[in-house]
Amino acid sequence: MIDNKTFMIAGLIIAIIVGGLAVFLASGDPDGLESTALYVQGEKELTGPSPEDGDPEAIGGGTFEYEAPLPDYSTGEEGGKTGEILAVFVGILVMFVLGFGATKLLASKKTS
Amino acid sequence: MHIPDAFVPLWQSAIYWIIALIFIALALRWAKNELSEDKIPLIAVLAAGIFAIQAFNLPVAMGTSGHLVGGALAAIVLGSPYAAVFILTLVLIIQGIIFGDGGLTTMGVNILNMGVIGGFVGYYGYSALKSAGASMYLSAGIAAWCACFISSLAAAVEMAFAGTFPLVPGLIAMGTYHAAIGIIEGIITAAIIYFLVASRPDLLAEGATDPSGGGAAA
Repeated sequence: MIDNKTFMIAGLIIAIIVGGLAVFLASGDPDGLESTALYVQGEKELTGPSPEDGDPEAIGGGTFEYEAPLPDYSTGEEGGKTGEILAVFVGILVMFVLGFGATKLLASKKTS
Repeated sequence: MHIPDAFVPLWQSAIYWIIALIFIALALRWAKNELSEDKIPLIAVLAAGIFAIQAFNLPVAMGTSGHLVGGALAAIVLGSPYAAVFILTLVLIIQGIIFGDGGLTTMGVNILNMGVIGGFVGYYGYSALKSAGASMYLSAGIAAWCACFISSLAAAVEMAFAGTFPLVPGLIAMGTYHAAIGIIEGIITAAIIYFLVASRPDLLAEGATDPSGGGAAA
């Protein structure tokens, strides 16, 4: 069995490897919800390929717009793959700190 | 299945937010009462790991991709559906605010689908299958598949209420794609539990590591 520190470092390293691989290897196809949006708009057959230039969100009502600082896990068009790696790493570290901090705050001094 | 802002009218988003907030409050109460400092490493790693793996869209044929959601995983290893609500809420807040993945007005409905429905289906599916005598990895895999599939059907119904997708084609397409995506959910969930059991069985919920059955409840 490994100790807490080793477990957390190993977990973070695995998360960073998975996130880094995702930048290069993740599928560009739309996800299940987006594919459904294309299908119900008649832009895609149920089991057929997705159109290259399809816009799944065209079906939405557009009541609210929000510009995220790191949109779609990137630093924007000019950031390229480096920007995407940076964005994913930032996300992983923020999640780790948030998970650690929120649990620490709520669990206080209890031990099981 | 992160629903963007444009897909749900604001008044309906508000209703889903209220439902989500009730479950978030229950999850915070669970965390305060049940969560000990011993679990900090596991939750920190799960939060970072679920975020990372959600960024990794794998092809599932039919011109579609999908990724692990992780609600069933969180609920099974921590022994409560509220663990899924707790961790998925953190993940969805960061995804929505920093990365624009999933809307802000629709964060409530996303928490409901992936955290609440995913967590409850995953947890109780796992408990039921294990009690029925299935092995823990098979139980976890099937429960995770069910969590993905049922969450997607819920999303299809919500999209029909929103007037975004027609009901029947929406159910057929969401169900078809997530039946395939659920296989990813099932395999990765079982694999991660295998690695957790191998590295730190003490961090898992009591009973979660007992392969002979008995349910996931601590």
